[in-house]
Amino acid sequence: MGINIDTYLFNLLIMTLFANLAISLYGVLARPSLIKKVIALTILSDTANTFAIVVGYRMWPTPTSPPVPPVITRIPPSREYMDWFTARAVDPLPQALVLTAIVIGLAVTLFLVFLTLQIYRLYRTTDVRRIAKLKG
Amino acid sequence: MIAPQTLVFGILALLGLLSMVATYLAVTERDLVKAVVFSAIQSTAYAFMYYLLMAPDIVLVYVPVAVGLYPAVILFLIKKTERFEGE
Repeated sequence: MGINIDTYLFNLLIMTLFANLAISLYGVLARPSLIKKVIALTILSDTANTFAIVVGYRMWPTPTSPPVPPVITRIPPSREYMDWFTARAVDPLPQALVLTAIVIGLAVTLFLVFLTLQIYRLYRTTDVRRIAKLKG
Repeated sequence: MIAPQTLVFGILALLGLLSMVATYLAVTERDLVKAVVFSAIQSTAYAFMYYLLMAPDIVLVYVPVAVGLYPAVILFLIKKTERFEGE
């Protein structure tokens, strides 16, 4: 029994997300520039959000009918429409959490950007190796 | 004839590979302006990925924030400070 091509492709997506997580963690921890650390931190938070979205995804009901977004388009919904909808819609809870996390990440990133700007104004450098050697 | 499910998962895997390459280049690039551009390419790949993962409301928030606002703010920061890493 051979491996299913769809399973292979989906696992490839998960592996690239893990690789993104590893590369951006290296960027946050090991790169000397504070600006590079901020860029890597945005990539890290986006990758974590993508993991949450992938957790909420569902396998296709049949190979030709995709899942639908978690939005009810028929008001008021009939019973047959709700049966069809619950068999196909993806999970809306991780999407709501990710929506919150993106906005909070924006606020944290803006704070870090102005912290970096203030460090540059005080010490005339954004290199953490030179900031660590300073006294006072 | 490719099945639609295989096509969508294949596009998702391609977008994942594109975002991996863009992340690697963004982290290792010494010119910070180029690093910001690579980060925007990675964000664009993630936006298409969210659309294919059936989250259109996330796309509506993510595209202005991660493709528009993050690069603009970080370019402002680079303009006020230094452009090259490790100088």
